[in-house]
Amino acid sequence: MKREKGYTKKNFLKGIINENPLFVSILGTCPALATTKTLEAAIGMGILFTVVLICSSALVSLLRKVISEEIRTPAYIVIIATFVTIVKMFTNAFLPDLYSTLGVFISLIVVNCIVLGRAEAYASKNNVFDSFIDALGMGVGYTLALLSMAFFREFLGTGAFAFGNIFTFIPLVKVQIIPKEYVMSIFQNPAGAFIVFGLILAVLAFIKNRKEEYKAYLARQEKIRKAEEAKKAALATAANKEEGGNK
Amino acid sequence: MANAKHYIFVSITLGSIAAASALLIGGANYLTREKITQNEINSINKGIVAIFGQSAGIIEQKEIANDSYKYVTYYYAVSKEGSDENIGVAYRTTGSNMYGKISLLVGFNLSNEFVSISVISDEQTYAQTLTDNYIVPVQDGTRDYNDVSCGATYGAKLIRDMINDASKANEAQIWKD
Repeated sequence: MKREKGYTKKNFLKGIINENPLFVSILGTCPALATTKTLEAAIGMGILFTVVLICSSALVSLLRKVISEEIRTPAYIVIIATFVTIVKMFTNAFLPDLYSTLGVFISLIVVNCIVLGRAEAYASKNNVFDSFIDALGMGVGYTLALLSMAFFREFLGTGAFAFGNIFTFIPLVKVQIIPKEYVMSIFQNPAGAFIVFGLILAVLAFIKNRKEEYKAYLARQEKIRKAEEAKKAALATAANKEEGGNK
Repeated sequence: MANAKHYIFVSITLGSIAAASALLIGGANYLTREKITQNEINSINKGIVAIFGQSAGIIEQKEIANDSYKYVTYYYAVSKEGSDENIGVAYRTTGSNMYGKISLLVGFNLSNEFVSISVISDEQTYAQTLTDNYIVPVQDGTRDYNDVSCGATYGAKLIRDMINDASKANEAQIWKD
């Protein structure tokens, strides 16, 4: 089958913008609300999630012709759970601070709808390379969405950005931007997560609506322009006819 | 016949996937177990320091396997670094409820008074609320551990029960068994 030109790029970008799992499909919201208190935790969650998504999508795609209809869901869950367990073990061994910060939310990747959803909707129908690119795009899109939430929550909730608390292999750096007495600690609490999530969704909906309105406006303008052109052409034809008659 | 063949094929496929998964997990466990054990030892040592101060260290440890104590799993005798003089004892307690598992160290001084707690692992769903509103104030001494209304009450109740269990074990001098 001939591939559409630029398909790989489109396949990768769709997960980041048009089909962003968190902000467009509203999937995987539980870890998004729970692990976005700091940028570091969000980066950690995003990376672990992306690794699980890529590995499970690639394996599901590889086995798509072997796994029959009846055992599709249990087989996918076994595959996803395996990768989550492996990722959990390696995080516990080599990034213990990230492991203790994310806690139960690493295990909960197993039941994240995005992972099972991509396996079911995409990897089971496409080749390994395309599934890999799709998973990478979705993973990056989800990570960026987590980062955007964590950015506002950490900035408004603590007034600072700190690195090195979870990823202890980098030196501890803390930049205090807002004085501590002016920070809004609600943004560090679950309520703050909901507020930030809601506001981001509202801004995105506003931008989308404006885009659609603009498109509709352009279409209306085009229609008017065409109608005017047709009118002018009709007038010109009538004038020509009249001129011909006079001659 | 064709049906039977199909079912055998399906069973073999699922069995093979499960077996391959088990092998992968086994391999990952083999590669990480030593490091995980070492991390756990480090976090226990850090916990002892957090409870008894910079120069504290473990001089003796004992596994507790007594059905009368629901949460206590290990006993540690603590001394000052470079000396055999006992300055207190700590108990490792592990418990779980519907929100997840918690493992913590509970420290007592030589007069059997509760000193503080240190968390080894906390897999509770409300871990952050529990830490901010209950564990940190108990560690600071600004909250009585029996006061469990904190926004993560079930987790706090579990910790309170774990402390009480360790206290009971300490009063009974369980390590002498």
